[in-house]
Amino acid sequence: MIERILILLLMLTGLWSIISKRNIIKKIFGFTLLNNAVVMLFVLEGSRIGKSAPILEEGISQVVDPVPQALMLTAIVIGVCMTALALALAFYLYKASGSFDIRKIREAVHDES
Amino acid sequence: MMNPENLIFLPVALPLAGAAAAFCAKAWCTGSLAKITEYGGALIGLALPWAFLAAVLPVIATGGVVEGVIGRWYEGIGITFRFDGLSWLVMVLIYSVTTAAWIYSLGAGPRNASFSAVYLILVSALSATIMTTDVFNLFVCLEMAGITSYVLIASSGKPGAALASFSYLLISASSMVFFLLGVYGLYRLTGALSYEGIAQGLQSLPDGGGTAAVVSLALMIAAVSVRVAVMPVSGWLPDAHALAPHAVSAVLSGVLIKVPLFALARVMLLMPAGMQAGALIGYAGAFTALFGVILALSQKDAKRLLAYHSISQIGYVVSAWGAAVHVGVTTPAGAALMAASFLHGLYHAMFKGLLFLSIGTTVDRTGQRDVYQLRGAARILRSGGERIPVTCICFFIGALAISAIPPFNGYVSKTALSHVLSGSFHYYLLTAAGVGTAASFIKLSRIYWPQKQGGEHSAARGRTPASVYISQLFLGGLCIAGGISASAVFAMVVNLLSASGAPVPEVAFYSSANMLKALLTVAAGLILFLLTATKKGGALLTTIRTRPRGFQDLFISFSLAAAVLVIWML
Repeated sequence: MIERILILLLMLTGLWSIISKRNIIKKIFGFTLLNNAVVMLFVLEGSRIGKSAPILEEGISQVVDPVPQALMLTAIVIGVCMTALALALAFYLYKASGSFDIRKIREAVHDES
Repeated sequence: MMNPENLIFLPVALPLAGAAAAFCAKAWCTGSLAKITEYGGALIGLALPWAFLAAVLPVIATGGVVEGVIGRWYEGIGITFRFDGLSWLVMVLIYSVTTAAWIYSLGAGPRNASFSAVYLILVSALSATIMTTDVFNLFVCLEMAGITSYVLIASSGKPGAALASFSYLLISASSMVFFLLGVYGLYRLTGALSYEGIAQGLQSLPDGGGTAAVVSLALMIAAVSVRVAVMPVSGWLPDAHALAPHAVSAVLSGVLIKVPLFALARVMLLMPAGMQAGALIGYAGAFTALFGVILALSQKDAKRLLAYHSISQIGYVVSAWGAAVHVGVTTPAGAALMAASFLHGLYHAMFKGLLFLSIGTTVDRTGQRDVYQLRGAARILRSGGERIPVTCICFFIGALAISAIPPFNGYVSKTALSHVLSGSFHYYLLTAAGVGTAASFIKLSRIYWPQKQGGEHSAARGRTPASVYISQLFLGGLCIAGGISASAVFAMVVNLLSASGAPVPEVAFYSSANMLKALLTVAAGLILFLLTATKKGGALLTTIRTRPRGFQDLFISFSLAAAVLVIWML
């Protein structure tokens, strides 16, 4: 149970950071936290039915459910792509406006368009 | 090798192969070789799928469904694609608009190999989205379509576009995390990811999954609603669609907001609660149609006006779609509703694509996007070398189609919608939205009216490239063809969507009553336009336009939407 509560706290921290932080880098941190919390939830779920890593060899029984782990490899890759693109856009916005503050960026962008 | 099971991977594989060719052109080729490789890639990715669609039509038209597992893995382990009537229709939508928009991008930019490559990956992801049969693969396809669209929006190079792309990325990627949470819930309950597996697993549970299943489904629906831009989670759309390059705007408005919707229908039909949710989303769609058009009417930026119309028109699609999911698509009434919904989605993709391209050409030539400032655009376009006013004519075809004036395709699909929704609550909201649509397009078409004084706008130098005209004429031709062949197309859509062979409802498209309704709508639209042109009306529009909009609102409305969905379904 304690693991689930910790994961929930991690998710809420991420969500709070995306919503309330003005610094766009911190928003991206928040997104990463949110994404990784869900990844951990899946892996935790898979481990309910076993103990060992899902490598089928002789003498190994009680493997964990391999499906969530396989899914989460994909989800991690997608999360990394999203973070990379978000950071690239943040860098571009910083070059255009000279700030990471979302309000200042919005003002600077509106002046130009 | 040529049996249909192997062929169905082509609409996903061909654009990916094309994207690989375009990346090769970027990485290793120079000069004309690079161009040949890139165009060859686009030909593979955008033209060959048409041959595939023609080849499988005989199988699909007789109610056939083709299934295949990638790499011939065991069923249940490998990724399964299913190609049925809905997939065929949605692919026609995808490829007609993306082909036209890519041709347009050759003339108007962004003109480089990396753009073509990302664009082709987007096409591939969209094709996979509609064919996929498991929830996790749906997540992957939606994320692929998402990440390519963020790149394409930002590719216009304007800081505003980068900010719009960033906001869209954050809200959309965060909501997709909640989609993943919904996948987790369903997997935990049923131990399955495929649609059939989930449906069977939920049936075998004593209470059909109970609250956990409902919450999981609500999270998934809310996340996809962000992509579809149903109010209240549509706030990201206007900036993103208005500031993207014109060709990308056409694809985003035409295709990207509709494909997830039709893919979601497959998930929602898995459990009774999903059909309940259909009713709620139908109501949300009808309100979206009306509020979207009010916001559109108040805009002064030409492309932003079109972007708000995308929200409004997706509201039309969603209202009939929600009603169809509510009654179940296998019933005759549900099949007719779904057919009308799809028909409007398809025709909207064509005329909105056309409008974005023609308005894009116009604002590029004139260098002015403000609807209140720009006048005499037809003359400026003529000075740019346009002997026959192609852009102007194409704009009016699109504007008449979206205002539902016969004989253009918008009239047909809106008549079909009125027919299947007649008497319901949605019908009145959609009729009111139709008046607003007519009014705002009277407002927008004023940019082509001749100018009284000789206040010269500085027109851009150089000639407009031929590819711009070809793509506009292609979409314009489709708009007219869709209007003329109304009954035939509607019957075909109904037949493809209902495998059981539901009777095709008789819709008298060109009856005098329907024509009169179109006329009255335009007359009411003209009155509404004249009202908004008064001083008080203008002040009201300015208030609506400059209302405060925040980034947080999107997240709050996302949480509210998910909560309301849960309460509705329980």
